[in-house]
Amino acid sequence: MKRSSFTAPLYLAGVFTLAGIAGAAAQTTADLNKDQNTPGDVLVYGMGPHGQRYSPLTRINKDNVKRLVPKWSYSMSDSNGAEAFPLVANGMIYTTNHISTVAVDALTGKQVWKVTHDYPPEILRIVCCGIVNRGAAIYEGKIIRSTLDNHLIAMDAKTGKVVWNVQSPGISAETGYSMTGAPLVADGVAVVGVAGAEFGIRGFLEGFDAATGKHLWRQYTVPAAGEPGHETWAGDSFKVGGGSSWVTGSYDPELDLVFWGIGNPAPWNPRGRKGDNLFTNSVFAVRPKTGERVWYYQTSPEDPFDYDAVQTPVVATIKVENKPRKVVMQANRNGFLYVLDAANGKLLAANAYDKMNWADGVDMKTGRPNTTESFKKALAGENVTIWPSVTGSTNWQHMAYSPKNGNLFINVIHVGMTYQAPEPPKNLAMGKPTGNGTVKRTTVYDDPNVLGFLKAVDPMTGKAKWSVPYKSPNFSSTMVTASDLVFTGVMTGEFQALDAKTGKLLWSFQTPSGIVGQPITWEKDGKQYVTIMSGIGGVYAMRSGDPNLVNVPTGASLWTFGLFDK
Amino acid sequence: MKIFPALTSLALGAFISTSAAADDAAMIEAGAETFSTYCATCHGNNLESSGQTFDLRKLRASERGRFQNSVTKGKNQMPPWQGVLSEDEIESVWRYIRANAYEK
Repeated sequence: MKRSSFTAPLYLAGVFTLAGIAGAAAQTTADLNKDQNTPGDVLVYGMGPHGQRYSPLTRINKDNVKRLVPKWSYSMSDSNGAEAFPLVANGMIYTTNHISTVAVDALTGKQVWKVTHDYPPEILRIVCCGIVNRGAAIYEGKIIRSTLDNHLIAMDAKTGKVVWNVQSPGISAETGYSMTGAPLVADGVAVVGVAGAEFGIRGFLEGFDAATGKHLWRQYTVPAAGEPGHETWAGDSFKVGGGSSWVTGSYDPELDLVFWGIGNPAPWNPRGRKGDNLFTNSVFAVRPKTGERVWYYQTSPEDPFDYDAVQTPVVATIKVENKPRKVVMQANRNGFLYVLDAANGKLLAANAYDKMNWADGVDMKTGRPNTTESFKKALAGENVTIWPSVTGSTNWQHMAYSPKNGNLFINVIHVGMTYQAPEPPKNLAMGKPTGNGTVKRTTVYDDPNVLGFLKAVDPMTGKAKWSVPYKSPNFSSTMVTASDLVFTGVMTGEFQALDAKTGKLLWSFQTPSGIVGQPITWEKDGKQYVTIMSGIGGVYAMRSGDPNLVNVPTGASLWTFGLFDK
Repeated sequence: MKIFPALTSLALGAFISTSAAADDAAMIEAGAETFSTYCATCHGNNLESSGQTFDLRKLRASERGRFQNSVTKGKNQMPPWQGVLSEDEIESVWRYIRANAYEK
């Protein structure tokens, strides 16, 4: 840039104009890092880089939550699952689905812009678990999202104009890859993961320059020949090893570490891939600028049960042996609630938070699960009854953490299965199915009227302070406020607020479809609002055949609630 | 614990000793496997729909053509499977669906 040709006043004017275009409150790294403490906007997936889904707002509280009413609703013109995390900035709400990105006026619900991202229909052959997208990131005036055909697209937050559009290099739907997760911008790098462990991918996590879209790094989750961990795969089984990264992680600016959960090994049938299958079913801590893996912790070695470790690791400083310690917490699909030291991945606690029989605790020295006879029989191809089912004790739905009352709020799936791994599949290849069809299973219930719970769980013990049963499991994420309200959605459409101290239901509103979305809260002009998407879909609704859902219509919509104005 | 209709019909099949019936049972079992691999994602484990996508058990014997068309060309959110599933595989899925259909 030639500065010498500008006169001083003109140069200054130029700077002002640029600032105006980028938005007076461009979302800088500093803004993203302090997002949890600035409730006027919601800039980062999980309501802040720590992913706590905790808001300091208290205007809506136990005394007045009964007066919560819808302010507006907005149609996504879509019959697929509405799983996206809405963002709030510049007086707008930004959200996504599989085929579009929208900006809606936060106070009126009127659409400001909409961008559609068409893709070839063949892509849907390799989408295992719902035709969905889980949201966008915002960074310096740009809305950044991934697409099913593995593009990362940045749009101007004011106009929707596409600023850059890049494809994840060297991968395609033909080889089983797709993207459904929201990017996480950490220190100017848009970190994204891939789906496809049900289609024989070799998984990875990768980073793009959030300003330009330039591809910066890729960290594979399944080691190639000669790389550490390769010896944990029998024969050539690593070639279709899975290890997806389909759920968004979290970030701690102080440690400069991105925490990201890694998915299941492929195929589901374990008999042809003897060994620990590193680094599937692990929690990764990586440097956002380089992708360097600083530590990892594997939760389910040699996994027969699709126990992805993809749940967002939640960062918090909690008391461990009476000393404050920065940890990451993960309510794992395998039924254990893990607490790890955020700096080095050291295991601090691992306790069951729901029914399980594949393991009997975790060895605190080695970090390995103490697997049971049932687990060993499953590996040997015998028919066994296993808790939890392949859907997990949690799936992708996010828990919330209240630093105020110290509990995690977890939507738990309470379903088991009969399971058998027949002769291992032959002719496996990238892009060919490696999931459901490779094992035989049926669903098992304790009580057909209780397939899920919302639990308030102590991180260090896994014990529930309270537990509320639900007929179908909630696939909505939770959110908790400083006024001790927990928000969640229900598969049959109810949007609910519960007392964080007791679990008592305080408020409920029937939305037009089932909820599998992510609640957020924000404030504007001295008023607090709560926003969520409604729209049934995703893995449970499509696969389970749950008779409780037969009268739940499809239809995605975005809702914002506020207190009734007298 | 639930007992699935697919398993029931397979069990019944075992009592019928003609070879034609045995062939049909094998075809249905192959169809169940193909269904589990490619179709259960949207149409439900063991054909059990929870109502948000088309319940394949509603297909009637006369709708083989409609079924073929949807499978090979795709429909609404359903991708086309031409070139992925063979004619034999499509036929086996059809037999599996018909074995579990509401209207025999």
